[in-house]
Amino acid sequence: MKNFKHTFNISVFSLILISFLACSDKLDLQEGQLNTGDVDYTNTSEMIQPLIGAYNAFATRGWEEYLLLSVRGDDVNAGGLGDQQDFANTDLFNYNKDYWMYNSLWNLHYSDIVSVNNAANLIENYKAFAGPSDAAKANQYIAETKVFRAWLHFNLARVWGDIFIINTAIPDSEIEAGVATKDEVMQYISDLMDEAIPFLPDLRPNERTDVKGGVTKYTALAMKALANLELKNYQGVADATSQIIGSSKFSLYPDFYNEFKKPGELSNENLLEMQYSDYDSGTGDTFYHLYAPFGSQNWTPARANAESGWGFYEPSMKYIKFMLDRGETVRLETSVLFTDRGIAELQTDPAYATLPAFVSNTTREGDVINDYARALFASGKQYLPSTQLTAGRNNYGAGKNMVCIRYAEVLLMHAEALTQGATSNVMSADQAVNEVRQRAGLTPISGVTTQQVMDEKFAEMAMEWGTRYYDMIRLGNYSELSYDGRTFTADNALLPYPQAQVDALPLEN
Amino acid sequence: MYMKTKIILLLLFLLSISGFAQNFTVSGVVTSSEDNMPIPGVNVIIKGTSIGVSTDFDGNYSIQVAKGEILEFSFIGFKTKSITVDNQNLVNVVLDIDVESLDEVVLVGYGTQRKADLTGSIVTIKSQDIEKTPTANVMQSLQGKVSGVQVVSNGSPGDSPTVRLRGIGSYNDNNSKPLYVVDGMFYTNIDFLNSKDIESLTVLKDASSSAIYGVRAANGVIIVKTKTGNLEKKPVFEYDGYTGVQYAQNVMKLANAEQFTTMAYESGSQPDISFVLNAMQRYGRSRVNPNVPNVNTDWFKEILRPGIIESHSVGATGGSENVSYSVGANYFSQEGVLDMKNEYERFNIRSKIDVKLSNRFKMGVNTVFSNATKYNAENAAWFNAYFAVPIMPVIDELNTEASPIRYSNAQILGYRGTQNPFPAMDFNNNQLKIRKLLSSIYFEVDLIPEKLTFKTTYNHDFSALDERYVNLPYTLGNNVERISGITKTQNTYSNQIWDNVLTYKESFGDHNLTLMGGTSYRDEASHSLSVNGQNITGIDYDTSWYLNFAEESSIVLAGGGDNGSRIYGVSYFSRAAYNFKDKYLLYGTIRADGSSKFTKDPWGYFPSVGAGWVLSEENFMKDNGIFDYLKLRASWGKLGNDNVAASSGANTINVISTDIGDVQTPGITSTSTFTDNTWEVIEENNFGINIGMLNNNLTIEADYYIRDTKNAIMPVFVPIINATVEKNSGEIRNQGFEIGINWNKNVSKDFSYSIGTNLTTLKNKTLSLTDPKGYIDAGTAEFRQRTIIGEPIKAFYGYQTAGVYQNQAQIDADPIAVANNLVPGDLIYKDISGPNGTPDGVIDDNDRKVLGSYLPKLMYGGNIGLSYKDFDFSVSFYGQAGNKILNRKRGEIIFTNDTNMDADLAINRWHGEGTSNSYPSSAGLRKGWNQKLSNFWVEDGDFFRIQNIQLAYTIKGEKLFGKNMPETRFTLTADRPFTFFNYNGFNPEVSDGVDRQTYPVPGVYTFGVNIKI
Repeated sequence: MKNFKHTFNISVFSLILISFLACSDKLDLQEGQLNTGDVDYTNTSEMIQPLIGAYNAFATRGWEEYLLLSVRGDDVNAGGLGDQQDFANTDLFNYNKDYWMYNSLWNLHYSDIVSVNNAANLIENYKAFAGPSDAAKANQYIAETKVFRAWLHFNLARVWGDIFIINTAIPDSEIEAGVATKDEVMQYISDLMDEAIPFLPDLRPNERTDVKGGVTKYTALAMKALANLELKNYQGVADATSQIIGSSKFSLYPDFYNEFKKPGELSNENLLEMQYSDYDSGTGDTFYHLYAPFGSQNWTPARANAESGWGFYEPSMKYIKFMLDRGETVRLETSVLFTDRGIAELQTDPAYATLPAFVSNTTREGDVINDYARALFASGKQYLPSTQLTAGRNNYGAGKNMVCIRYAEVLLMHAEALTQGATSNVMSADQAVNEVRQRAGLTPISGVTTQQVMDEKFAEMAMEWGTRYYDMIRLGNYSELSYDGRTFTADNALLPYPQAQVDALPLEN
Repeated sequence: MYMKTKIILLLLFLLSISGFAQNFTVSGVVTSSEDNMPIPGVNVIIKGTSIGVSTDFDGNYSIQVAKGEILEFSFIGFKTKSITVDNQNLVNVVLDIDVESLDEVVLVGYGTQRKADLTGSIVTIKSQDIEKTPTANVMQSLQGKVSGVQVVSNGSPGDSPTVRLRGIGSYNDNNSKPLYVVDGMFYTNIDFLNSKDIESLTVLKDASSSAIYGVRAANGVIIVKTKTGNLEKKPVFEYDGYTGVQYAQNVMKLANAEQFTTMAYESGSQPDISFVLNAMQRYGRSRVNPNVPNVNTDWFKEILRPGIIESHSVGATGGSENVSYSVGANYFSQEGVLDMKNEYERFNIRSKIDVKLSNRFKMGVNTVFSNATKYNAENAAWFNAYFAVPIMPVIDELNTEASPIRYSNAQILGYRGTQNPFPAMDFNNNQLKIRKLLSSIYFEVDLIPEKLTFKTTYNHDFSALDERYVNLPYTLGNNVERISGITKTQNTYSNQIWDNVLTYKESFGDHNLTLMGGTSYRDEASHSLSVNGQNITGIDYDTSWYLNFAEESSIVLAGGGDNGSRIYGVSYFSRAAYNFKDKYLLYGTIRADGSSKFTKDPWGYFPSVGAGWVLSEENFMKDNGIFDYLKLRASWGKLGNDNVAASSGANTINVISTDIGDVQTPGITSTSTFTDNTWEVIEENNFGINIGMLNNNLTIEADYYIRDTKNAIMPVFVPIINATVEKNSGEIRNQGFEIGINWNKNVSKDFSYSIGTNLTTLKNKTLSLTDPKGYIDAGTAEFRQRTIIGEPIKAFYGYQTAGVYQNQAQIDADPIAVANNLVPGDLIYKDISGPNGTPDGVIDDNDRKVLGSYLPKLMYGGNIGLSYKDFDFSVSFYGQAGNKILNRKRGEIIFTNDTNMDADLAINRWHGEGTSNSYPSSAGLRKGWNQKLSNFWVEDGDFFRIQNIQLAYTIKGEKLFGKNMPETRFTLTADRPFTFFNYNGFNPEVSDGVDRQTYPVPGVYTFGVNIKI
């Protein structure tokens, strides 16, 4: 009996031990995570997903990025002091390398470069398993990511000059290689676009059916033109723009005012566009950009409960007077939202005592821009009439797209290149400028000079991506930037590297 | 359990001794001072004779004595008490626990050990020390009581305090939580336990003691034992309850309307001045000062309220011949001091039953069910209240567009934000339903009686956390409209542990050996689902707070969406403890842990050894007249930490969606940062001493330790990629000295007192870093924290101020001031270094230095207890020193600088020569130069606090209406009534040292009753 008990005890004990040991093979399991190695790359129908991811990265921009890229131009001011004082100081060319916006612009641009490079790597993985037609598609997708990579590098080089060129997703060796000069970066962009162009669709972005409004050959050509313009390689500019113009695919959207509103989204004028939407639904998912910083701080919207903005982006008095002097109408009306206080301030100058009727604090759609302390004017190109908001959506500018490159800019780059000595047999400088003028309701001119092109560009491209500022830097026209009490000197051209990046990277201010 | 059986056997033996007839009979009851319960089996002998008796199960004894003889009452684990018999017939005796009793048994993980045999650093806290603190979370009551344990209070009802054992073992504070082992089950959070249900907390501080828990023990282990019944014990019913009120302490003074207006005027910012004018236009001018708006809102005062706290417990404990039990229920509720739906309510039921099936076979079942509902505070309210301008009322009757309540909106005055904290407080409802069930069953069999025992235990912890965040709709004027919405998150956790343990005990001659070996299998599964919907029909009724009532198109996955994880662990462990003549002690453990978290190399091995020498047992130390007890200890151990990022070996895919041609289009993005991590390993050396002196009335326990975290996993910022990866990055050292001194004295039958103090030092240091830069950055770019070799981890890092420029002459004389366009009222920074390591007359990044750490260098606590007749009085205190707090509330002026601030900042600002040499001017506060992180923004976090004051009165053996009155105890408690500190904030207890929005820690005042029948 005692023996039996012992045996029983021992057998129960061994049973427990054996069942315990059986648990050990669970150590290899991992739940709730999808690794890049686990994706089925043979299923090429899903190859577009990383590309969509790249579009998402491109369009996901912090609110401060656009503002910081463009605030230093003579077209736009930071609004008053008070909130975001160092943003205002940047507008006055007093730079603070500790200011969070600098660091954020750097981080977000570079991380998106890595993000689109990652997308290209994933597409490469699919390509390895793809048949010939899918392989061609893969090449196209990869070429599209290169355009985003180019656009992001382009902004960084304009702001900081010498920057790192990042072509991979694990950039250790590229960081080690150190920064490239601004000219090297621009040349790199031009070369990168040459690499991409053969694989990109010969379509206008809005003609694409797979990715409507996506990147095409002409986007890459425009990027190439922009880079060559920075390099002052005017023939390069003329060649690239001639190809775009010569394709006859692009035209200016007839209604300048609505080019910047919902009706102008994905128009025949747009070469690169960030797309935002609430999918016409008052609830559910949205994909928005935060436009509030551009908006006036106080308004009475035509549609109830539409939110106002922050007043961080104020068209300059200089620009308004420049436009009034030129007799501009629709371009001024589109670019500037007036307040009564701003109008009164304008009228203190006897030359502007009488103003055209469209200079009013009420927009076409009936939104009333009330006075607010921070600024006299608000920006119009980033304004979406409250009546165009989806019912149930109240955010300022909610769902409005952001155009990055327009055909008008291509025409004006073309014109400038020709006045700078380049040649083209597609279109003359006069023709290019007059096409832009015509839409603006202005009379044609002939024998255009570089100065006239730059004036045209000032009128046409104001408040867009700092185009004006970087043009003046490129041309060394610092006197234009020394306005309203500011004094611009050559050493103000670039921002200092953010302190956090100096701490983390081989950089020196 | 085993020890208990032994004790009972011993008592039975003692019972058989009978006494001889003497002159007259003395009788009485012997009770324990710990719980006032009768003690059975107390040895009562007449001193100098062998005559004696034992108490029965009700603690009663009766003995024949002669006048003048001395009765000696002794019992294992209690201090022996002697009473001279006069001619009284009734002698009731209360025995005190003998803390240094040789036979006291402590829990050591998968078993017990005699305290005398310990070679590591283990501290046990008994229920009576816990119960003085009115709190939802038992860990709060440990604050200041145990050296080496830092408890950072959390004022928000239902939220757990931060607990750190011996500094910070892992870089990431979230990975530094100690392991709680509740009756064998692993937890990282024991908020579901009621303090009253806990019998003891055992803190395993050193690596040697905790190594038996291997991979989970890196941050120390706290073993929690819930109350257990005893065999052969009469049932006792107990009610315990308290109710009281909490008040926010040390409420920070905010700048009032006049101070704020002055700051706005002095800022030189036109918009700010116009906002003040707008306020005057809207609300009128103050009659006292016509340049100030006629509003003066103290936002902190507005958002605070007193909070009610109460707790009621009932329970029964006892045992028959073969079954012992402890059952009970508790209700706890606590309101937050934030004036919104902010409260915590918990109902607990527990039962523990042990059955002796035969002399060799035992089994038991333990269940704790906790059902809690928590309404989370809207923490942003603290932040908003700090910033909201005082020139705006809470309710603005002119704001007719605001509904359903006419709350004011700062945008109407011109400010960017709405500022008013009330809409979020009133119209957000954050409910969390927390249900936790711990259940376990064990079987224990003596394979060889008294020698070899086998025990198998299965534990299951099932927790469900239902979160419901309701956004009620409101409008606030200026086109601010919020539509209704609900976010629901459901989390379930199912954790299982199955332990099998063999224990073998053998004594031969003077050699005593205990061997233990076992296996443990873990399965930890979790799942969460989060969904969001908007435009809820019938949002005004909480009966329709379901997504069924949301607009259909609005329902989307939210937050983390739907995800889960499951981790398996397999472990083998063993322990050997040996002692020779109770003099020389040896100890060793080893544990092998396999974890599915580390797929590449799942196995880690964690050994430990310890040795002790009880000098007082040596002949040369016998009767030395100084030391009653003296032991030297040393131990070494190695621990793993699987809480850190797993081999984070893979780059992962994220699913996103974006707008393509107004169609929501799905896509994927991927990460490219990955590292192959190895186990983070902690190695610790511990040296300790235990001293008992002056008849063991004075006890001292001191430890010195060096604790190194090797392969420390740190989040490393990857520039360009702009991501942070968890990577083995270096070695961190924590070292410190801990001492606890206790003095207990029974002065007379009626009066006794005790004094205890403890002190902890901590030195946290980075020993090495693999990063070639020699530092790792933490915090944000604006509020930099940096880990540098030789310095504490995550130290605040910035410039050092040297005053304020007072006048133009001083500016003109200083090239630094000229170069940076400074004006009087700007901060002067020390020129510490240039690129070549020497001051270079330029203030730049080379002039930054470590400004201090958030970890205190010194913590101290203490208590004084007095007992006179039926009164007990105790006071305890706690303090810390040497830590720094980043006053980020102030620092956020860099993001928005036209809002309000604390009064100290406004009053002490520089506003003319000689007005301040440490605070910048109002205009200066808005300048990038002064906003650089410097010691202006980093303040001392030292504080001293009266932790607890309690007065108790016990009624015992009295009659009420002719019947025996149950033993009743009344208590008055003030918990954390006074805190003293200089920091400019609510509360110097900021766990990570960055004070952005910290819930104030309230003072709690309660009245309590305890009845035993």
